[in-house]
Amino acid sequence: MKHKEMVYMTPMPVRIWHWLNAFGIVTLCVTGLQIRFPDHVNIFGAYKAAIRLHNTAGVVVSISYGLWLSYYLIVARSLIKLYVPTLEDLKSGILRQAYFYFLTYFVGKPNPHHSTPESKFNPMQKAAYLVIMFVLLPLVIFSGALLMYVAPLRELLLLLGGIKLLVGSHFLLACCFTAFLCVHIYLATLGHTPFAHFKPMWNGWEEEMVEDVDPEKKADK
Amino acid sequence: MHAYNRMMRMFLAVFLFSAATAAAAVPENGKCMSCHGRKDVKSLAGNTVYIDPVKFTATTHSIVGCTSCHDRVSSGHPGDGSAPARAVCGDCHAPVSVEYAKSLHATKARCNDCHNPHEVRLPMFMSGDDINKKCAKCHDARKILKSHAKWLPQAELHIDSLLCITCHTGSQDYVITMSIESRLPGSRDAFKPATYEELAKLTSDENIGRVIDLNGDNQVSLEELRAFNHHLRGKNMRLWGMMTPEVVTHSYQILENRWDCTFCHASGPKAMQKSFIAFPDKSGGYKRLAVEKGAILDILYGTPDFYMLGTTRSTPLNIIGALIVAAGLSFPVFHGFFRLLTRKNRKEDDHEA
Repeated sequence: MKHKEMVYMTPMPVRIWHWLNAFGIVTLCVTGLQIRFPDHVNIFGAYKAAIRLHNTAGVVVSISYGLWLSYYLIVARSLIKLYVPTLEDLKSGILRQAYFYFLTYFVGKPNPHHSTPESKFNPMQKAAYLVIMFVLLPLVIFSGALLMYVAPLRELLLLLGGIKLLVGSHFLLACCFTAFLCVHIYLATLGHTPFAHFKPMWNGWEEEMVEDVDPEKKADK
Repeated sequence: MHAYNRMMRMFLAVFLFSAATAAAAVPENGKCMSCHGRKDVKSLAGNTVYIDPVKFTATTHSIVGCTSCHDRVSSGHPGDGSAPARAVCGDCHAPVSVEYAKSLHATKARCNDCHNPHEVRLPMFMSGDDINKKCAKCHDARKILKSHAKWLPQAELHIDSLLCITCHTGSQDYVITMSIESRLPGSRDAFKPATYEELAKLTSDENIGRVIDLNGDNQVSLEELRAFNHHLRGKNMRLWGMMTPEVVTHSYQILENRWDCTFCHASGPKAMQKSFIAFPDKSGGYKRLAVEKGAILDILYGTPDFYMLGTTRSTPLNIIGALIVAAGLSFPVFHGFFRLLTRKNRKEDDHEA
C-alpha cells in the first residue's frame, strides 16, 4: 500500500519567478506573433499596443531572470547543484531518462528519477534548463534589449552583423521558447495525476505517493 | 498673357530640346552662365547671384532655358541695375500650385524656400537625406525628434529611415531607396552619404554604379548586393535604406492614417519587393539602379542593416521558425497519443515525470 506525503519542493521566490516568467514569456510569444505578422494577426488592436506590451513583458522577464539568478546564486546557493548535470547524468542519466520517456513509460515502468528538494530535476531537465536559462534566455534578452534601442545602439548592432541578423536570431530564439513551452507544459502533466506537478509550483507542496512501511520491518528496525 | 506665352515657350523648348544638354540646346544659357556661372558674381546690391553651372545643367529648367523664366531682360542688364523678370512657378506647375495652396504649409513657405529653381530635381534624383534637409531648414531636428518621441516608438530610428514627406504628404507608391554612407576610418561619428569622389575610388570604371553592379547590366542582383555588403565591412561604410514615395504630392498635412503603425508595418512583404540603390553623380544629384525584386526580404545579407518590423520578414526564416515550433508541438501530440493508447499499462501513481 502507498500513502500520501507532502514535500515542500518549491520555495516562494522560485514560484513567484516561475509565474512571472511564464506569463511574461506567453505574452512575449503572442505579442511577438502580432509584431511579426501584423497583416495576419491582430490580437491586441493597435500595432503600437502590441509593441509596448511586448517591450514591457520583455523588461519583466529580464528583471525576473535577474531575481532568479540572484536567488539561486546568493540566497539558496544551489544553482550548480540543481541545474548543472553531473558527469553521471551526462554519461548515462540523460539516456536513462530519455529511455523512460520514449519507451518504458508506455509499458508502465516507474520514473528512474525521484524528485527531492535537493535534486528537483531529472538529468534531461537539468540539461534542458541549463541550455534555456544560461544560453537561450540571456541571448533572447540581449537581442531584445538591443532591438528596443536600435538608433542609440546602432554601433553595437553593426558590430554584431546588422539588425537583420539580430531580428532573425531573436525570432528563432522565440520559436525555440514556443517549442519549449509546448514540451514543458505537456511533461508537467506526467505526474501521478495530470496536475500533480502544477500544484507545487503554485503552493510549494508536492504530494508524493510513498510505500507504507511494513509493520514487521518497522519492528525489526 | 505673359504667363500663357511663357508656358507655351517652355513646352516648346522642352519638346524640342529634351534630349540635348542644356548648354547646347539653349544657346542663351551660355550667355547668362558666362557671368552667373562665376562664383564671385554679385548684383549691384551686393547679393550673390551665382548659379552652379553643374547643378543647373542637371535640371529640367536648364532645358527650357534661362529666358523662359526670365523673359524680360533689359538691354542694359546688368549695368542698369534692373532685375530680370521672374516667372511664377504656378505658370508651369499649376496643378502643384493649386494642391500646395490648399495645404497646411501654403502660408508658411513659398516654392523657392524649398526648391531652388536652379538646382531643383525630381525626388528620385535626390538622396533622402537631401530631401529631409529641406524640411530641416525650418523645422528644428531636436524639436521634431522630441515631438515625435511623445507618441512614436523608436522615433529617432523612424526619422532616420523615412522622408518627412512620406508621412506628411499624401505621397504614394513606396519603395526602399538605399544609399551608400560612410565615415572616416576608426571614427564613431554619424554616417554621412558617401560622395561621388569616395565611391569613384572603389572602382576603376567611369560609371560608379559598377561598385555594386559588377556585371554592368544596370540592375543590381541579390548576389551583387550580398557581395557588396561583404565588401563594405571594415571600410566604415554601410548601405542605408529609407522608405521613399515614388509619387510625390504637395498636399502637406497631418494624415490620420499615419498615426496608425499598421499603415507601413502591416503592408506585408509584397509591398517591399521594389528597391533601388542611389548613387551620387558629379552634379550633386543622384541616379539610381533598380535592385532585384525582393532583395529587401533576403534573410541576412541583402540589406543587413535595414529591417522594417512586420513587413520585411524573410519567408525562409519563417519556415525555419515554424519547423522549430512544429517540432515542439509534435512531442505532446505523438507522446500524448501513445500515452492514451497505453494508459492501461500504468498505475497512475507510479509515473511522475
